[in-house]
Amino acid sequence: MDYISNFLFMRSEVSLLAVMVFLLLFDLIAGKKGMKYFQPIALIAFAAHTIWTFVPYEAGVSFGGMYDYKPVMTIVKGILNIATLIVFMQAKEVFDTERQGNKRGEFYFLTMVTLLGMYFMISSGHFLMLFIGLEMASIPLATIVAMEKFSKKSAEAGAKYILLAAFSSGVMLFGISYLYGTVGTLYFTDMPNLISANPLQIMAFVFFVAGLFFKVSLVPFHLWAADVYEGAPTNVTAYLSVVSKGSAVFVLMLLLYKVFGNLIVQWQGILFAVIVLSITVGNLFALRQDNIKRFLAFSSISQAGYLALGIISGTAFGMTTMIYYIFVYVFSNLAAFGVISSIENKTGKVNISDYKGLYSTNPKLSFIMMLAMFSLGGIPIFAGFFSKFFIFAAALEKGFYVLVLIAVINTIISLYYYLLVVKAMFIDSSDNPIPTIQTDNYNRVSLFICTAGIILIGLFGVIMDKIELYSFGM
Amino acid sequence: MAEQIIFYILALVIAVFSIMAVTSKKVIRSATYLLFVLLATAGLFLMLNYYYLFAVQVTVYAGGVMILFIMAIFLTHKPGDEFKTKMNWKVKSSAILSVLGLLLSGYIVVANVTRIINYVSGKEMKMQELGVTMMGTEKYQFLLPFEAMSVLLLACIIGAIMIARKEKNNVESNNDLDK
Amino acid sequence: MDNTSLFVVVLLTGLALVILGLTAAILLSPKSINFQKGETYECGLPTRGTSWMQFRVGYYLYAILFLMFDVETIFLFPWATVVRQLGTSGFISVLIFVVILGLGLAYAWRKGVLKWT
Repeated sequence: MDYISNFLFMRSEVSLLAVMVFLLLFDLIAGKKGMKYFQPIALIAFAAHTIWTFVPYEAGVSFGGMYDYKPVMTIVKGILNIATLIVFMQAKEVFDTERQGNKRGEFYFLTMVTLLGMYFMISSGHFLMLFIGLEMASIPLATIVAMEKFSKKSAEAGAKYILLAAFSSGVMLFGISYLYGTVGTLYFTDMPNLISANPLQIMAFVFFVAGLFFKVSLVPFHLWAADVYEGAPTNVTAYLSVVSKGSAVFVLMLLLYKVFGNLIVQWQGILFAVIVLSITVGNLFALRQDNIKRFLAFSSISQAGYLALGIISGTAFGMTTMIYYIFVYVFSNLAAFGVISSIENKTGKVNISDYKGLYSTNPKLSFIMMLAMFSLGGIPIFAGFFSKFFIFAAALEKGFYVLVLIAVINTIISLYYYLLVVKAMFIDSSDNPIPTIQTDNYNRVSLFICTAGIILIGLFGVIMDKIELYSFGM
Repeated sequence: MAEQIIFYILALVIAVFSIMAVTSKKVIRSATYLLFVLLATAGLFLMLNYYYLFAVQVTVYAGGVMILFIMAIFLTHKPGDEFKTKMNWKVKSSAILSVLGLLLSGYIVVANVTRIINYVSGKEMKMQELGVTMMGTEKYQFLLPFEAMSVLLLACIIGAIMIARKEKNNVESNNDLDK
Repeated sequence: MDNTSLFVVVLLTGLALVILGLTAAILLSPKSINFQKGETYECGLPTRGTSWMQFRVGYYLYAILFLMFDVETIFLFPWATVVRQLGTSGFISVLIFVVILGLGLAYAWRKGVLKWT
């Protein structure tokens, strides 16, 4: 492989970098007039990137194994792209305002940098690349969490996130250093045979995996989630809960399957405990939240538990179901965040009790929110039901009966609190409900895409087949 | 023999100043103690004949990062006097857990120390070798992380500037020079 | 004499010189003990409060930019030793690296961070 084709092999990364540099230069060169078109242009450029990199190509490596590509990664990156695009569409409204308008260039650039970091994490073939990707996906994210710098909550959230992210990546590096000490290489392809479940490697593995659990916000590494989700600007919260989590959980799975295959007994045990804790703790705390962003934070912790349930089986089917779950989760969660974001932009209200009587004033928004809640809760015929069903099936296949039983019981508990939101909107009445809200066209399109996704994905088996086709090659 | 003495001096400096850096009640003193730790670490690299790492440690950490720390400290209102730690049950229980964790991992490391492969060859790493390794695209060469670092650094510059620069609270004055 | 012994000798000589100088200063210098001598100079008026003050954020931004280009320099150094050997491809790699970092400087300049007002 010659010099240039090493770079060109990384199609998604190079394309995204080109978009980023273009937008940065545009931000720097365009004057007052030009910046009016910045957001539409950014959206078009990113959409073009999404479409251009949508088709999988031949698996292979470049940079001597530093970058390791498999077709299934294109699927995952495509899902992340779609999610990011939806987040951008929902954020447009915010960055048209006086308050945040002068930071739109930075918002798009930094978000895309974190996305690039996630790409590198997904396609890395070496622990160094994984680590750089992880840092790239967390440091700029902390700055956009703290973007509303005159809001104390946002600043606090940013500080909490950067400190805990730094600490967790420190723990992770410690683990990696011991792995290197016992194995003598950091290439993913060289490591599996050298890992032989000796105590030192297990310890290193635990330290390493804690860093990734932090990114996925699995219990007991979840404590940052609620505060950061609440303090961050709503669109950034949406990005954190969907894109950041989705990519991290996929990377976790890749590493567990590819590198730590010999430690399967150990990581299944760890995951077992972590899943039970995540689903239960997430649910119990979600029950008592009134702030809807905190509520979704805890709901996303329990969703992370379900995602990890797809990993535990250790089979290709488990991998398929997990990618499918991420795909569905993107639409359900972003639909909810789209509604929350448009209500917050216009009225500044973020509590579930404020949502009382929403149906009488905003029937469409309440309907979309209802669909999102049904899908997150896993009510049949919506996509969320199918994704949960497949995840359970994958875990059952390997005999995790108790785990699935706990998960099913928790799903029923979760239905209760998801329906509380629906009840507030449709049944409860309020003296001063949120007035009728006009959202801009971009947000409408994003909500339309999410709704379509929630209703249709479950009904078209072809999506599942496609993911399965690519994930079996792993 | 001389090497051993230097090693113990450096190790002592690192250990003592690390503890002083975390226990000092004044931030600026902590930063100074940290500087000594970083310099002593640079000395360790020198002992191992890692000249490049030594240069990195001195210029980037003892130079750049320390300046950043000190500037960040100067941004604060107060020098951080009278900072009292409360010893409630949360602090106590987490302290006990941390010590237990430390003992466990320490025991594992000590008991399995033979499993760690000894890589330190002691021979000098040539700068030319490093250059080739850093710029190459073959296996055991690191061009991709090198390029990825530039994007990461760029993101850090832009993020830091976004957080720290003055707000103008005006959509139109996006670029400073337009006014 | 090998490198490390030389190092020890230099280290000890340095330390000895410093200690010697300071002790000599203590012993030889005339002494006057006065409370006001040790105070912060403030136009003759008695000082009030601490000397701590909050710095402008501009210094911090300069420190950030300094750090970034510090890192850049240190990364360029190994390349500089083998420029000829690596040829065009090495040059292109470094060019990408420098241009991407240069965008950061361009950004800082354009957003008015470098302006001292």
